[in-house]
Amino acid sequence: MIKEFEGRNEQEAIDRAVEELNLKREDFNVEILDAGSKWGLFKKSSVKIRIHVNEPNIDASHKPARDEFEKKVTEYVKTILSKMGYPAEVHIAYRRDNKIGLTIISDHSGIIIGKKGKNLDALQLLVNVYAGLLDDSKRVIIDAENYRIRHEEHLIKTAYKSAEYVKKYKRSKLLEPMNPFERRLIHTALNDIIDVETKSEGEGLYKQIRISYKGGGRRQ
Amino acid sequence: MEKDLVEYIAKSLVDDPSGVDVNMIVGEKSTILELKVSPDDIGKVIGKQGRIAKAIRTILSASATKSGKRIVLEILD
Repeated sequence: MIKEFEGRNEQEAIDRAVEELNLKREDFNVEILDAGSKWGLFKKSSVKIRIHVNEPNIDASHKPARDEFEKKVTEYVKTILSKMGYPAEVHIAYRRDNKIGLTIISDHSGIIIGKKGKNLDALQLLVNVYAGLLDDSKRVIIDAENYRIRHEEHLIKTAYKSAEYVKKYKRSKLLEPMNPFERRLIHTALNDIIDVETKSEGEGLYKQIRISYKGGGRRQ
Repeated sequence: MEKDLVEYIAKSLVDDPSGVDVNMIVGEKSTILELKVSPDDIGKVIGKQGRIAKAIRTILSASATKSGKRIVLEILD
């Protein structure tokens, strides 16, 4: 989770974050965005910070399949991979609500993930269709080498960078085509940022997000 | 082998696994796999807007890269 705060100085901004998010200081990292104007005698100087909240790590210990559903699903992924010619181990990494997370351990992770996660997404889609036949209340998430987490972080980072650009030049920016899940990540991430707004453009599954400037002030 | 792979995936998705048949036509540079399923199951291997067919093709081409072949999947109806 990432959020922005402002205060008269760095400490005040941090205190505000601690109070509002109900966290301890060691639960997040602080990035200073705007150290406040040094000029301007009458302008109240302010410091803007961005908080990166450390998410609790997903339990890395592998859990054995505990029911028929989990056994069948892991076996399914393993069989497909071995028929593809990339033998791999498939472990259950986590269970959360109605989701189970599988992780693929293999020497061929690069090809299993594919360009922009293409192969991993295709595999995940097939597994979910299959899983839906067994129990349609459950969803399966497939990952290899923590690709999904790294990719999410990368997306959010790019979104922030683009938002900074939009704020600075007061020009809109169009991001790459993304699937609904990825778009939602970006909409949510930029929702808290003042002066910019996000909208999806285009048709179909892969739409593009446009970040545009909506700040009213001419000079800040 | 890719024929096996398509057969396995198709059988896992349909109602009538006995209706699944894969025919392989080997060419010089590319191989064609013809997938046949029971008429009622066609939607199951194609999916909404071809999502499942697309996923099977993606998996196939990932599998084919290791041998450098080109594999084309055709779904017959």
